[in-house]
Amino acid sequence: MKETVIETRDLVKEYRGRAAVEHLNLNIGKGEIYGFLGPNGAGKTTTIRMLLGLIKPTSGSIEIFGQGLRRNKLQILRKVGSLVESPSYYGHLSALDNLEAIRRILDVPKSRIAEVLDIVSLTGEEKRPVKGFSLGMKQRLGIAAALLGSPELLILDEPTNGLDPSGIQEIRSLIKRLPVEEGITVLVSSHLLSEIEQMAGTVGIIRSGQMVYQDTIAHLQQQAAGDLRIAVSEPEEALILAGRRGCSGTLQEGRITLPRMSDARVALLIKELVENGHAIYRIEEHRQSLEEFFLQVVEGGQSL
Amino acid sequence: MMWRSFSADWLKIRGKGLWFLVFLGPIGLLAMQGLNFGIRYDYLTKQYHSDLWGGLLDNVANFVPVALYLGGTLICSLMANVEHQTSSWKQLLALPISRTAVFMSKLLLCLLLVAVSCLLLSVGTVGLGYLLGFGDQPVPYAKVMQIGFASYAAALPVISLQLWLSLSSRNQTLPVSCGITLSLGSLFSASLSEWFPLSWPIMAWSAPRPWLFSGAGLMLGLLLLLPGALHFARKDVN
Repeated sequence: MKETVIETRDLVKEYRGRAAVEHLNLNIGKGEIYGFLGPNGAGKTTTIRMLLGLIKPTSGSIEIFGQGLRRNKLQILRKVGSLVESPSYYGHLSALDNLEAIRRILDVPKSRIAEVLDIVSLTGEEKRPVKGFSLGMKQRLGIAAALLGSPELLILDEPTNGLDPSGIQEIRSLIKRLPVEEGITVLVSSHLLSEIEQMAGTVGIIRSGQMVYQDTIAHLQQQAAGDLRIAVSEPEEALILAGRRGCSGTLQEGRITLPRMSDARVALLIKELVENGHAIYRIEEHRQSLEEFFLQVVEGGQSL
Repeated sequence: MMWRSFSADWLKIRGKGLWFLVFLGPIGLLAMQGLNFGIRYDYLTKQYHSDLWGGLLDNVANFVPVALYLGGTLICSLMANVEHQTSSWKQLLALPISRTAVFMSKLLLCLLLVAVSCLLLSVGTVGLGYLLGFGDQPVPYAKVMQIGFASYAAALPVISLQLWLSLSSRNQTLPVSCGITLSLGSLFSASLSEWFPLSWPIMAWSAPRPWLFSGAGLMLGLLLLLPGALHFARKDVN
């Protein structure tokens, strides 16, 4: 079992009686890239603000690095870098001064500024006022600010929001590099599955304030993997036959629907069916895309 | 911890018009009196011939409370706006620094800026006096310091209040209009009861025992900081 970096228990946040986050149990291991996924307004940002101590939970507890957030807030925040929603910056100051203002509070050596500018490839632009930066550059400056204190945990809320494809690509590869090179644990939120799929190892899906899925991406892909559909001349009898061979399925629209199985088992089953006099019209694999699966989960169709 | 935040704040207000405001206040007041004495030089010097410095100081002092209130309001608002503008609060308060330290550092910066204004006013008044040829009479240095700093201490309750309002609301309309209303109110405050805090800055100049009002202002100002700091430390940052 890996060391846990973030653990929340029954986290609840209510705004005027309406719950924005309900009984959320997050569990993030050390060195992971954890994708926090959910549609807009599902409570991702609210959760992240609670993790950073910006807002107070109505009830429930948060432990980061094994310490309670309420008691040890400053010690914990010392080891956390964050970027929450739209980038925060002081437009009238240069990138260098923006980082300097944060550096003075963090009390890290001055050389660290050049290092983080290099990590986000903003070197050469640091003297310009930030208000003239493109959104992508502001976002990268935000990440530089988050990295300034050499954090062990990086919390990024929608870091690729509003960026163009090359900017997204750049930030994505940056995020993927961090755990490997610096051993940082990353929590990254997004409303786009494809985004999370390409970065994260573990994913938590949140829907109207509730966690509906929390597991590895690989497991998610498996869940979303399709089923086998066979159209035969006598479906009822064929289904019974398949059931006797250990492949229990259902009948949908006159077709036998079976869960995914190995090629060898498929071959065996078909052979049986043919030998028992069934005419096989069609065998197809129905693949549900991850995107469809995600929508199904998010729209409340099913709970996992 | 507060000093670290203070040095960051010091950097952040660069180029935001705060220093301009700090100079504008005292220079504006002195320019007004320069004009007043310049135009009516013979009349006024005859009227105040026994105490030329006192006459000048009295004339300046009439406008000190309104300038203090207005200046304090605008400094608080401009300073808070640096953080409000691009919603930097979420970034700042997620740093390992206590909210109390952030609040106190903003307070300190605001007090320092107003203090610079007051010092400029005192120094500038002496300069203006010499310029008007009052140099023959001895400069009443105690009175010169009193003009800026006694009223300043008495204005602390309003500055505390303004700091709290400016830091807590994203929309600066409320704190600024509140500050302007108070400034205008202070113009008529001489006729108000001396128990009314708004009149303390002018009392701190003209009352028989001015230090009483400075002291009262200092106390009430510190008292008003408590709810402000507490609220700031506990509020949700959105």
